[in-house]
Order: sequence, then structure tokens, then C-alpha cells
Amino acid sequence: MALLEIRHLSKFFGGLAANADVSFSVEQGEIVGLIGPNGAGKTTLFDCVTGFHRPDRGEIRFRDVRLNGKPPEKICKLGLARTWHKVKPLARLSVLENVMVGAFARTRDPEAARAEALEQLRVVGLLPRAAQAAGGLPIGERKKLEVARVLATRPTLVLLDEVMGGLNPTESDEVIELVLALRAAGLTFVVIEHDMRAIMRISDRVVVLNSGEKLAEGTPAQVVENREVVAAYLGEAP
Amino acid sequence: MILFLQSLLSGVLIGGVYALIGIGLTLIFGVMRVINFAHGELVMLGMYATWVLFVQLGWDPYLSILAVAPLLFVWGALLQVAVVNRALNALPQNQILLTIGLGLVMSNAVMLGFTSDYRILSTSYSSSSFELGGLSVSYPLLMSFLVTAAVTVALSLFLLRTDTGQAIRATAQDRLAAQLMGIDVRRMSVLAFGLGAALAGVAGALVAPTYYIYPQVGGAFTLRAFVIVVLGGMGSVMGAILAGVLIGVTESLAAVYVASGLKELVVYVLFLVVLLVKPSGLLGKSRA
Amino acid sequence: MAATSVRPAARAALRCAPAALAIVLLALFPIFVTKPYPIGIGVSLFLAVLVGSAWNILGGYAGQYSVGHAAYFGVGAYTAVMLFERLHVPPWFGLPAAMLAAVLVGVVIGTITFRLRGPYFVLASIAVAEIIRLAALHFRGFTNGAEGFVVAGAPTLHLLGLELSLGTKRSFYWLTLALAVGAVLVSRAVRRARLGYLLLAIREDQDAAHSLGIGLAWNKNLALALSAALTGLAGAVFAGYTRFIDPNTVFSLTEVSVRMVLICLLGGIGTVHGPIIGAVLLVLLEAVLVTPRGLVTIGLLPSDSALVAFVGKWLSPAYLLVEGVIMVLLILFAPEGVAGLLRRVRARRRETAAAAPSPAP
Repeated sequence: MALLEIRHLSKFFGGLAANADVSFSVEQGEIVGLIGPNGAGKTTLFDCVTGFHRPDRGEIRFRDVRLNGKPPEKICKLGLARTWHKVKPLARLSVLENVMVGAFARTRDPEAARAEALEQLRVVGLLPRAAQAAGGLPIGERKKLEVARVLATRPTLVLLDEVMGGLNPTESDEVIELVLALRAAGLTFVVIEHDMRAIMRISDRVVVLNSGEKLAEGTPAQVVENREVVAAYLGEAP
Repeated sequence: MILFLQSLLSGVLIGGVYALIGIGLTLIFGVMRVINFAHGELVMLGMYATWVLFVQLGWDPYLSILAVAPLLFVWGALLQVAVVNRALNALPQNQILLTIGLGLVMSNAVMLGFTSDYRILSTSYSSSSFELGGLSVSYPLLMSFLVTAAVTVALSLFLLRTDTGQAIRATAQDRLAAQLMGIDVRRMSVLAFGLGAALAGVAGALVAPTYYIYPQVGGAFTLRAFVIVVLGGMGSVMGAILAGVLIGVTESLAAVYVASGLKELVVYVLFLVVLLVKPSGLLGKSRA
Repeated sequence: MAATSVRPAARAALRCAPAALAIVLLALFPIFVTKPYPIGIGVSLFLAVLVGSAWNILGGYAGQYSVGHAAYFGVGAYTAVMLFERLHVPPWFGLPAAMLAAVLVGVVIGTITFRLRGPYFVLASIAVAEIIRLAALHFRGFTNGAEGFVVAGAPTLHLLGLELSLGTKRSFYWLTLALAVGAVLVSRAVRRARLGYLLLAIREDQDAAHSLGIGLAWNKNLALALSAALTGLAGAVFAGYTRFIDPNTVFSLTEVSVRMVLICLLGGIGTVHGPIIGAVLLVLLEAVLVTPRGLVTIGLLPSDSALVAFVGKWLSPAYLLVEGVIMVLLILFAPEGVAGLLRRVRARRRETAAAAPSPAP
């Protein structure tokens, strides 16, 4: 039984299919890369999986629980958490309080939440920023904050939506190391990323979306060899 | 049946004036994305200006539109430059509080100047009417409807045919893109607020002969204007016209068939239903 | 070990000391000062703290700017008065009943309006309160319509062997003081508990909050229930104090709903102490603007004061003009209120202190 199973998922906006009959699964402990040109339906897929959109067709199962129609807060509590492509810091709260909010998914006690938040800030390296207002962080640290906040909800599966976009190579490498370390500690990831170098380094498997459909799936090496994928990225007919 | 047709007719006629108020609000919202909670107070100012011109100079209310409209235009433009423009980047909730504050200032300033007494502007024709196919047509209501129609046509021509009008529409559609195309969006905002205020002023002049005039009269117009704008779709002029007439008819029918004290209540309930069922309004696009 | 665990407790006690002292002084005040005017100002102040803190839980913490809280205030007032006048239910049952009624109305309103965001929510909150006001005006058989209710008798509250007459200004002074302190403590507890963090998260970004496992409808309704209960309580006490209610007073858009927002805006929306600061400033301002004669009765101004004559003639009839101006200025120049201003001043002082050259060793 896979950890996450997506079967024949379709989502329409008006007449447009943002996702069309997409199927793939994610095994426990894997890092799956999700790539595709802009508008391929990657973020829509995350929105469907995390309950922000209701799939029009198909089924999403997480740890064998059907997610269709479940609200986002329930899905988070099942252990499936996501970051946002357009980062959403709780601007007027401190960095520490931001992560505490995540930790409250698992505890009622503010002291326990504080301890958990400090731990996750240490993990992502934001501890020195704990007391600052989240709205004032530079983009690189906002992305790290997204990750810390999600980790504080104690997920088993994390969907990362372009957490490396806009980062410089050093920061990007830090995030890659972090994801690999967390996977070693037992977490599972689905990662949307435009930076092919990063995707190649961390993914065990890559799923390629194009115009809402699944174009290819395989190891990073297989995918870059795929003529259709190359064409989709270069914008030519295969 | 006569009763039904009669209230339908009055509803359509008064709805025209409501539409005018709604168009002003929707224009302001479209260009600035600011919800003007002081809109009814602008109508109230129009009513008082008309009343003063009538009492002091003996001007006919319909004639005084020629003075009231430019007056309110200048006042609206001034409010935009001095106050509203400074809050364009504030939280939407704070913008609402800002315009609520402006409304308080206007209604209470008028109260200081004119006391809270109810004023009546009674012309020779205030309660006159004529017969048409068995229905009685109120002369002032008909006049105000005709003026409304003329103003609406003129406004539409202005928005569709002139360069400035098209620049206003472009700003409403996409502020940033309009700016990139070299449109002076600040000027357009001032114009839009001035126009919106002028339309409210005209509406005030039109209802002055048939309404009690008092400082707090604006509140009811503000809420009606919102119902109209939400019903017609935020930013849609055509929607505001349709919704204005619809609200006029609803009120008129509710006054006859429910209870005259409950006509506003019926409108607000309708408003809530629309907000919940189709928050984008009757003509608006559905939000993804 | 012992020293480290004692010290924070002692420090916390020390921090609470000024507030505790202030409450004791306020409680002792009517024993020394018996003039009705300052006692009346005290009641207004405590009621303002109560409604401000109530609004702040929903508007300040959860970010749901309700401009329709008159609905809960009025429902609380009408519930207590109608139970007393019609069914002779004594006020000490009437007060909890008023809170319950306000919560019930709140849950219905919340279920309808919380699906809306931003300006649509504000519009809906106003519309709902206006619907209730118009209904209260129209259904005369049930509510007496525009005539309202005059509360006739003043019952005596038997509590722990004490007889508290609810007929005197002083008893209302102590009652409202206790309620205001209670409301601030509730507000503080909410802010520090899990609920407080969840509400702030909802205020800052609903989608982010939702994705972090926070149920939006449930938590907003929880905040609304607390807020409505305290507001309904304030309405009921207000009714008992003024002995008269009618729809246009207790369901007033400007004098109740907008005023509640103004109290918080003035002090600082979303902070525990903001509504206290705002209530003090607004009530003092209203005291000067609305009843300048009162300043004469307590000997602050001579009876022939030109100021009193000026204010009485020009500002009292339109004190809302001044409040409107303040509201506009606050949004433009200090949207975080006096609390925000103080915070900014303190931060600047700290900066200049840090920038100052340290003395050579």
C-alpha cells in the first residue's frame, strides 16, 4: 500500500482541465519530484490533495484514507502538510509564533508548542530570527519559515511547492541538505521545483505534468532522456 | 392587479434613482477598489444643497442639478485627494472604517449647520400625478426617472466614447496595466471619485422633493447602494442599473404585500441571500 | 534551583502589581467620592472596556471586523428587560439568559456570514444588525416597537448574605468594574491560550491557517460566541443601568457598533490592553463633549466657563463629528492606535539607546 495514491484525478476550472486523469503514487520514505512547465497543473494538484480544491473526478487516498471532500484542517491532522508557492507568512506574528501555530496542530499546551517550534526553528536554521516579525524576513528565510511551520505539524508526508525558487545557490543547497536529512529521519516528500539541478539531486522518482496531464514518470535520468518531456520544456512538437 | 402594476411602476421609477446611487458607488469601487461607506452621506449632501438652493434662491430641484452635480464633484475629488488616496494601500477593513468615519463627519457637520430637524422641500408638483392607462404616475418620480435615464446615457457615452472615459475603464480593469500604458491612474481615481459623488449628488437632488431631508438620511442610502452594487456585481455599471431597478421594485412590492415598515428589511435579507448564493452578483463573473 | 523557580513567579506578581493596585483604587473610589457624575463616568468607562474587549476577541484577534455588534448588545438588553418586565425573571437569571441569547444569535449570524471574507463580511454584519433593528421596530406586539421599555422596579440582589440593591449608581459602578476586569482577564487568557494563536493565524492568512490544521468556521464561531456573550452581557447591564431601551438606542449602528470598533481602533486593535486605553480616551472625550456641565459639578471648571458654553452649544449635539474626525485621522496616521504609537516610540528610544556610543572602559 502506497502512502499517497492519486487515481485518475481531474479538476476543471470552467471548461479548462487543470488536472486531467492524473495518476501516480508515493511510497513511504520517497522523495518524488513534480515538474512541468508553468500552468501544467502542479499547484492545482497540491490544492486538490490538501483539500483546497475538490477534485471533479478520481480519487486521492492517503494512508488508505479517502481525502476527497475532506477539509484542509482534517488533512493536515492526518499528517499531510503543504507549503505555499506564494509564501504565506503570518506577517504580524513573530517567527517563533508562526511555527507555534503549526505545532498547535498536535498540542493544546502553549509551552509544548513553544518547545516544538524552537526545535523546528533549530532544524531549519532560523533560531536567531525567532523573535522577529515574520513579515520582515527576506524571501529565503520566509521559505525556510514555511518549512519549519509545516514540520511543526508533525507530518508524515510533506508537499513542498517551490521552496527553492528565488533562493541563491548556497541557500538552495542548504534546503536540499535539509530535505535529504529529513527523509533520512523518515519523512516522505513530494517536491515541485523549477530548478532541474535540485530536482535531479533529491528526487528518487520524477512525475512530469504538461497541460494538466501526466506526461511521463520515472527516475530523474529516464525523465531527462524522454523526448516528449524535452519537447514540452522547449515548447516544440515532439 | 392594478395594485400590483401600480407598485411595480413606482418601484421601477424610484429604482432608477437607486441605480444612479449604485452606479456612483460601483464606479468608485471599480477604479479604486475602495468601498465607500460614506456614499449615502454624499446623497444627503446633495439633498441639502438642493434644499438650500430651493429655499434661498427659489431654484427648482431639477434645475439645481446643474449646480449640485459640479459641487459634489469637487467635494468628492477633494475627499479623494485629501483622504481616501492616502489609504489606498491600507487593509480593506481599515478603508471601510475610514469611509465610515468620513460619513460620520459629513452627517454630523450637517447636523451642526442645519440641526437635526426634518426638512421638507415641497414644490407645486411634489405630490402631483397624472393618469396613464388606469395607473397613476407620480410627476416627480417620473421626472427623476427621466433625468436618471439621461444621466446614465450621458455617462455611458462618456465612458465608452471619450479617451478619458476609456482610461477610467482601463484603470478599473487593471490598475497596474493601465499605469504601464501611461494612464495617469491617480487622476483617474480623482475623476472617478468626483463622478461617483456627483452622481450621488444628482440622486440627492432628484429625491429631495419626495423625501424627508435630515442629517442621518444617508445611512439607508448607503446600505441600499451596497445591496445594488453587490447584486449587480462590484464594478459593473450595467449590473448597477439592473439591480437598482430590481431593488426599487422589491421595496415597492414589499411595502404593499409585506408591510411598509419592513421594505428595507426585505431588501437586506435579499442582500444576504445574494451574498451567500452568488457573491459575485447577478452579472459578475464567478470567482474561482 | 529554588531561586530560579521563585524568581519568575515573583517577577510575574510584580508585573501584575500596578494593575491590581489600579483595580483596588478604582473599587475604593466610590467610598470617598459620592458625586453622581464621576460615578456615572466610571460606569460608562467600565462598560466601554467590557464591549471593547468583547469586540477585540473577534475583530482584533480573529480579524473579523464586525460592524454589527449592536445585534448582540441589543439582543442582550432586550432579553434581560423582557424577561424582567414580562415574566418577572430577576436580573441574576436575566444576565446569563442575555448572554445565552446573544450567543445563539451569534452562532446563527456566524454560520451565515463567516463564509464571506473581508469587505463582504463587514457588509453582511451591518446588514444583519440592521435587520434585527428594523424587526424590533416593526413587531410592536413583541418588542413594544419604537416605544421601547421603561424598566420599572429595581430588584435587590441577595448574594452570599449581602444585599446589593441594583437601584443605585454605586452598585452599578462595582458591578461594571467587576465585569470589565473579568472581560479583560478573559481576553488575556484567550490571547495566551492555543485559541489566541489560532485566531491570530486566521487573521493573518486564512489559507495558511487552514493548511496548518486550523478549522476556520469552528474557531471563528468560538471567538464570536465569546465576543457575543460579553457584548450581550454589556447590553443587559446597560439596560438595567439606564432603565430604558428602544431599538434605535441599543441596536444603533453608530452609537453601538461603530463605537465598539472605535474603542479598539483608538487603543490598538488586537492587543489585550488596547480596548482599555481606547475606552479611557473615548469615555473621557465623550464626557467632555457630551456633558461638559459635569465638569462644573465636580469643580473642575467654573460654572461660567466659556469652554463649557462653547462645547455645549457647538459640539455636544454633534460629538460624533469629533469621533468621525478621530477615526479618519487614526486610520490615516496611526492604524495601530495608541498602543501602536507607544510601541513605536519605545522601539525608537531603544534604537537611539543602542546607537549611542558606549562609554569607554
